[in-house]
Amino acid sequence: MVDAARHPKVDVRTYTTVERVEGYVGNFKVQLREKARHVIADRCNGCGECAKACPIEVPNYFEMNLAPRKAAYVPMSQSVPLRYTIDEDACIHCYKCVDACGALEAIDFSQEDKIAWEDIGSIVVATGFNHFDPSVIPEYGYSRYPNVITAMEMERLNNSAGPTTGNLIRPSDQKNPQRLAIINCVGSRDKRFNPWCSNFCCMYAIKNAVLLKQMNPQLEISIYYMDIRTPSKGYEEFYDRARSMGIRFIQGRPSLITEDPKTRNLFVHAEDVVLGKISELEYDMVMLNQAAVPQLDVDTVSSVLNITQSPGGWFMEYHPKLRPVDSPTDGIFLAGACQGLKDIPSSVSSGLATASRAGRILHSDEWEIEPIIAQVWEDRCVMAQGKVCGVCARACPYGAIVIEEGKAASVTVAKCHGCGGCVAECPHNAITQMHFTDAQVLAQMRALLADKPEEKVFAFRCHWCSYGGADLAGTSHFDYSANERGIRVMCSARMDPDFLYEAYRLGAGAVLYSGCHPQDCHYITGQKVGATRAERLAKIFEKMEMTPGRFRVEWISAAEGDKYARVINELQQVINDIPHDQLRQEIERLKPEMEKRARRMYETPGVDKAVEYSEEMARIITAQEVKSGA
Amino acid sequence: MEHEKVAELRDLLIALPGCEKVDMCFSCGTCVSRCPIQQKVEPAYNPRRLLKMVALNMQQDSFSSITPYLCSACDLCYAACPQEIHISAVLNGVKKLAVEAGFATPLETARVDALTCIGCGFCEKACPYEAISLKEVNVPMRGKGLLIAEVDAAKCMACGTCSMICRSNSIELQAWENSEGVVDSIWSWFETAEVGGER
Repeated sequence: MVDAARHPKVDVRTYTTVERVEGYVGNFKVQLREKARHVIADRCNGCGECAKACPIEVPNYFEMNLAPRKAAYVPMSQSVPLRYTIDEDACIHCYKCVDACGALEAIDFSQEDKIAWEDIGSIVVATGFNHFDPSVIPEYGYSRYPNVITAMEMERLNNSAGPTTGNLIRPSDQKNPQRLAIINCVGSRDKRFNPWCSNFCCMYAIKNAVLLKQMNPQLEISIYYMDIRTPSKGYEEFYDRARSMGIRFIQGRPSLITEDPKTRNLFVHAEDVVLGKISELEYDMVMLNQAAVPQLDVDTVSSVLNITQSPGGWFMEYHPKLRPVDSPTDGIFLAGACQGLKDIPSSVSSGLATASRAGRILHSDEWEIEPIIAQVWEDRCVMAQGKVCGVCARACPYGAIVIEEGKAASVTVAKCHGCGGCVAECPHNAITQMHFTDAQVLAQMRALLADKPEEKVFAFRCHWCSYGGADLAGTSHFDYSANERGIRVMCSARMDPDFLYEAYRLGAGAVLYSGCHPQDCHYITGQKVGATRAERLAKIFEKMEMTPGRFRVEWISAAEGDKYARVINELQQVINDIPHDQLRQEIERLKPEMEKRARRMYETPGVDKAVEYSEEMARIITAQEVKSGA
Repeated sequence: MEHEKVAELRDLLIALPGCEKVDMCFSCGTCVSRCPIQQKVEPAYNPRRLLKMVALNMQQDSFSSITPYLCSACDLCYAACPQEIHISAVLNGVKKLAVEAGFATPLETARVDALTCIGCGFCEKACPYEAISLKEVNVPMRGKGLLIAEVDAAKCMACGTCSMICRSNSIELQAWENSEGVVDSIWSWFETAEVGGER
């Protein structure tokens, strides 16, 4: 960090929080709050006289509260900048530090937080992880038994710059322990707390054990583990080395730690699962290798940056395999453990990857996006007529639609990913998606349902998943009904209710509404928009007394070709099961109803006017570009 | 070419309430080291092994194991299990299947001395497992049509409640008299801080 701070092109802002982020890729505006240090950084020379004079002592967070610090302090010796800070929460305003500072006059209690807006090209989130607090696991007795410590406390006790200058001592009597137990998976791989594997703790336990054994070969070390995971290069060899050094590995998860109240020694109760016998061994000290958990303020960070979280609270990447360091919002990247737990080599690789991804944006004057963006037809938007709406903005997973009172909704083109959710949600047909306009979709539907529509199974498929599923069903030669006809839209969110009314109006026998599984959606929450709508539609069709099964909602992934084939066959079966006359009667009966519901769609230019329509859209877009000066 | 799958032990068990997560066991041994029965009563008792045997469909071994019968359903293991498997429910499920398959308990169950039983019915009321019922039987050397307590070996958990409450000292548990160990163990657990009282 010190090296980075010295670099002429790196500006490290410490003691600063990001409060708001506006704008889009390459053009972010970020509001920063620099907290008041009460020390003028330019005048402070880091001499430490203020800390010497300060009468207040509080626990030192950096030393895991094992040592005190003053209210005038530097967090750690590598701090950037190496300037003192007055801890406002602890300070009693005795002003002894001001006297101690003397002629430098660096201490200024009148300082207030500085708030500033900055122009930023791209953003890398590297907020890291937090440590699980094992005191919530009653059976391990952390915080009740003084000699049960966490891995981070061990790190400080073992560090030559730590509070004991590297002398490993027991907290209860300050003696050097002779027998040490290390317990892995404390709070991780445990459904009661955190279901995940924390990735690096196995190697961390072995590293600590080897380090301690090298410093004191007399120290007996046992590592309790469920599985030892050593998947990377050289890790298994390191595990071998640890065993050859006489470190004892016991397979079994301790269920209880008890303490001898006189000696403060600890008894670890565990089953050695290899022997199938209970072991109850005595130790001087126990180190809990606690789980890694997301930072406490992940929710704030994700709402400020508009990035989503995967289960557990890690930030969600754009694609787990192909775009692992991109966030779903363009121009924001994820480095290190905030995206998912990583050890040091992987964190460094992801950091370098984000740097190169972010550099691509900084070095280009223009940024290419997909042309399938949404466009607002300003004359139709009711917001322009002074009414309250904003349905489109609520449907947008990317926050790309700007709503202002008295003005038509406008799409921030650089943020739009083209899911089409707003297009289908807009109750006034005021938004259209380029290359997936209503006219284009309708033209396809009319062509596909031109002949004997009542025999057809009509499928709406999303581009990313169910279209891939249908493709796979074909390439795998799965048998499915030849009466299937389908069209592709970008997301289930684009599947306009009008399209479904139109499909039934044209006389389709059965309709499939398909998209990604909720967790696979390529547009963050696009599938949710689609799913809510599908539920609503199912109720409407039920009220119309449509034969059950003629409308079906299925979430089919690109790998589920067999499921696609099965669903289509089942829909075909539904059609086959209804007598032909009865089906025709039903279609005729529902036609006026469908026509009524799809009414507003006909207000948009029809298929025959497609050319004029696209010219009209081109005119609108040009007008917008001129207006925004792009 | 789909073969109809024959339901095996694991499939039968998973269908029972509380046994759904039996596959989730990763053999960490927490349940065993937490178990008062294993440590104070019977070292051969091992729920971890039983779960593994169930997962591998080892029907014969599971049904003749003593583990399902000895569990006191104290659920200390359930609270400690990192995979949230309701182990006592699994053991109970195995026992149920074993009894249905005609296996008898491998344990020494409570035994009634027909010569001294007075048929008062206290044990019937006291039995937490509803294993005791009063029946009219002919007892040699005593008489005909006497009301005598009878123990259903499939239901008896050998807890000893009946033996304790019996007014005529007619019920005893022969091999499993070491229940003091269980009491000690549970008592020491009560004393630990997680239940409330510091030592």
